[in-house]
Amino acid sequence: MNEHTLAYIDQDSLFHRADALSKLLWVVVVIVLAFQTTTMEARGILLAALLVIALLFARVPLSVILKASPLIFGVALLLGLFHFFVTPDEPIFTLGPLHGSQAGLVKGAGYFFRLAIMVLVSFMFIWTTNIRELMVGLTKLGIPYRYAFAIFTALRFLPIIQQEVDAVQAAHAIRGRAARSPWAHRFRLWQRYLFTVIVNGLRKAENTALAIESRGFGAYPTRTYVKPYRLTFVGVLIVVAFMLAGAGLILWEKGLLVL
Amino acid sequence: MTLPIMIVVNVLILIVLGLLARFVKLGEQDSRGGGWNFNYTTSDLIILAVVGAIAGVVNTGTGIIWNAANAAGGPLAGAALQGAFMWAYLLAFFLVRKPGAMLIVGLIETAMEALLGNPSGFSTLGWGLTQGIGAEAVMALANYNNFGWWAFLLAGAGTSQFGTVWTAYLFGWDSSPEIVAQYWQAAPINMISGAIISGLLGWWLGKLVERTGLLRTTRKE
Repeated sequence: MNEHTLAYIDQDSLFHRADALSKLLWVVVVIVLAFQTTTMEARGILLAALLVIALLFARVPLSVILKASPLIFGVALLLGLFHFFVTPDEPIFTLGPLHGSQAGLVKGAGYFFRLAIMVLVSFMFIWTTNIRELMVGLTKLGIPYRYAFAIFTALRFLPIIQQEVDAVQAAHAIRGRAARSPWAHRFRLWQRYLFTVIVNGLRKAENTALAIESRGFGAYPTRTYVKPYRLTFVGVLIVVAFMLAGAGLILWEKGLLVL
Repeated sequence: MTLPIMIVVNVLILIVLGLLARFVKLGEQDSRGGGWNFNYTTSDLIILAVVGAIAGVVNTGTGIIWNAANAAGGPLAGAALQGAFMWAYLLAFFLVRKPGAMLIVGLIETAMEALLGNPSGFSTLGWGLTQGIGAEAVMALANYNNFGWWAFLLAGAGTSQFGTVWTAYLFGWDSSPEIVAQYWQAAPINMISGAIISGLLGWWLGKLVERTGLLRTTRKE
């Protein structure tokens, strides 16, 4: 994978020791919590808790989180600002033709936190999970291994395709792609490079299919793996702890739990 | 109008587009290798994986712009780009010609986008699911055996519009009447964008690939 890719970070942490399916369930629990909580305070607590967990229990370096922060918070911030300015109420802030309201501030903050939580939890999953382990886990859930293998293949092809896209773009640049060329010309170039990448990719796909079939892939209904999937105690613990903490957060938000 | 009503109207749109694909015949009629055949060969699955990976790489940059436009400007701001992501679904269906191909590519492509740094994280999979279902619904109503440009144009429009159901849920576009009004104003733009950039582009790329002869081993007519 190249430098643009969000990649697995090899660490020894509580989250790294948890199995992939438990972490996937944890992601689902956090996303459900992000939707079930309704106040910006509760969502803010959830986001802060995730950041602390990422640093302390998943041992994700701060520099990695900072580098990914435009992706984690950028679109969420824009979404928050959109709801701030669009929600009709008494204006509390004016910027040219745009009027921000108190109701918009509450709604915007809620949407900001919700999206940021969803993106951060996704990134935490990627940083702490070997995707291949997840694929082996998915076959345990009943997904036929030939279909799970399609995702393995896509992951394997990802860096090759990225290199190919870079190579074709460089080839076009060498042949005189003008930086200020008209849009129609740029579109024609884009079509050409897309077609080149597709044809090369399909040629590789054919060769790959032939190679794995000649080695007996798909001949039997089941297969073995170098590293079989195992449910871990740590994984179950993380899911249960988050479910309990989430229930507590919702009860606190509704005023049924006083701290 | 709340989200359930949005979903119902979008399902009705899909049904209309699917019936048009089934009963209105425009352009050349191509039904080679189609139908309700779920027997995926290894070659089919690898092709879907590769097309999904290519689309993931190509669409990630567009995804960042689209996400920013929709989040900052609402339904109308990103409508013109809405159809820019599903060309791979239609291309995969043209190549593999089996039910479910578009949904599989949708899920693979959005998973790859999430791994490559889509600013919506794993919620991107929601678009893979809804857009895949949108394209599948139109082609299913056409019995999966219409490979002419007309069916692809309609499937492109359907997948583009149905994908907005997830956007509406995720970005809260059902939260006020003003945004809901924008959502429906954006619908024709979404569909035109999808019809051209996804439907026709996917079909055209499929035709070009067919001319190269690469499909001879995959498609044994």
